[in-house]
Amino acid sequence: MATAIGQELVALLPRLRRFALVLCRSQPLADDLVQGACERALAKANSWTPGTRFDAWMFRILRNHWIDHLRRMKAEGMMEDVESQTHLIGDPGEEPIMNRLALAEVQRAIDSLPQEQREVLALVCGEDLTYREAAEVLNIPVGTIMSRLARARKRLVEVTAAA
Amino acid sequence: MSELHLTDEILMAFADGELDEPVAAAVARVMAQDPAVARKIVEFQQSRRLTRSVFASNLTPDVPSELRAAISAQIEAYEAASAAGEKRQPVEAKSLWARGAFPIQMALAASLAAVAVTAGYLIGQQSQPVAGRLAQLEDPRVLRELSRLESGREAELPVGRLRVISTYRLPDQSLCREFRLQSTSTATGAVACRTDEWTVTFALAEPAKGAEYVPSSGGDLVESYLGNLDAGNPLEGEAEVKALAESVR
Repeated sequence: MATAIGQELVALLPRLRRFALVLCRSQPLADDLVQGACERALAKANSWTPGTRFDAWMFRILRNHWIDHLRRMKAEGMMEDVESQTHLIGDPGEEPIMNRLALAEVQRAIDSLPQEQREVLALVCGEDLTYREAAEVLNIPVGTIMSRLARARKRLVEVTAAA
Repeated sequence: MSELHLTDEILMAFADGELDEPVAAAVARVMAQDPAVARKIVEFQQSRRLTRSVFASNLTPDVPSELRAAISAQIEAYEAASAAGEKRQPVEAKSLWARGAFPIQMALAASLAAVAVTAGYLIGQQSQPVAGRLAQLEDPRVLRELSRLESGREAELPVGRLRVISTYRLPDQSLCREFRLQSTSTATGAVACRTDEWTVTFALAEPAKGAEYVPSSGGDLVESYLGNLDAGNPLEGEAEVKALAESVR
């Protein structure tokens, strides 16, 4: 009997879209990625161990799906299109202390980070994964997570302090 | 432990509550005495808060209804299949999104005319005899390159431009490679697997690339095929080089 993950999957959709957007920076592509990742997850629902973090498991599937996609895109010479696509900034929600401008400033700083730093930042500071969980999602050592994350955050502090 | 070397990574881990107790306690002691260290830690806490605020503001709860519907349909299909105790459904009619609709429908329509080849299928337009296309894919020069070209590389051959996309090891230990062969009139995405020699097991011909080409769906079909073979993750770097070297031995 397959593990039923449907409900959790639906509940996770907003966060999956958000992480997909960090990866590909295009909302239509992000939605395609989310759909593809859900399909993969459903097909191998049994490989998720109940009791472990479902979100981390899904982030990993989503990111692998993205890498496969990139691999094929590269074969098509389509990389530039992805890079040049812009992305959307959602409505400022919580954290009323911070004004819209400051958020936009940080958003720009995050966008200017290299992809490898941005995805680590998203998983640890945006999605509250531990270093180890993020390392499993990205399939890299914890030490690499830490050095990328520290560089990204130092950069954010520099940028926002200068503003 | 006054000699503890406090790298940025350690201070960050402290700010994130990721350090084990003895080290965390040592950092706390230094922090109490050294304002520069304390400031760095505060900055790491700050960058985390800032990032979290930005991500919170990016969380738009309104998932588009098409996406929600597409995923609900997938869930229903899988749950119905598993309730009926069937094997997992072949992952076929994908991309309910309009965006990806064109190539996939072409491919599915064409699959009605699919022709079984030795161990697999050739799906695609019938503008060229199937046997001819297969002969190109199994041209000795193509097969030779499959044994040595790393993924992501290309070779110009008389039959067209060959690009190897990825390499997989199947559970039965055979080695498979996804590749594309682009000739002037057509592009064909294919998978070849090898036990003693390369055999093309799957091929998907695409119409010559137009301006409106959407890249994801042709790949989806190949991906489904590989998924059904339990191909897993592609081999990369040294693992791929090693696998290729072993395969020709």
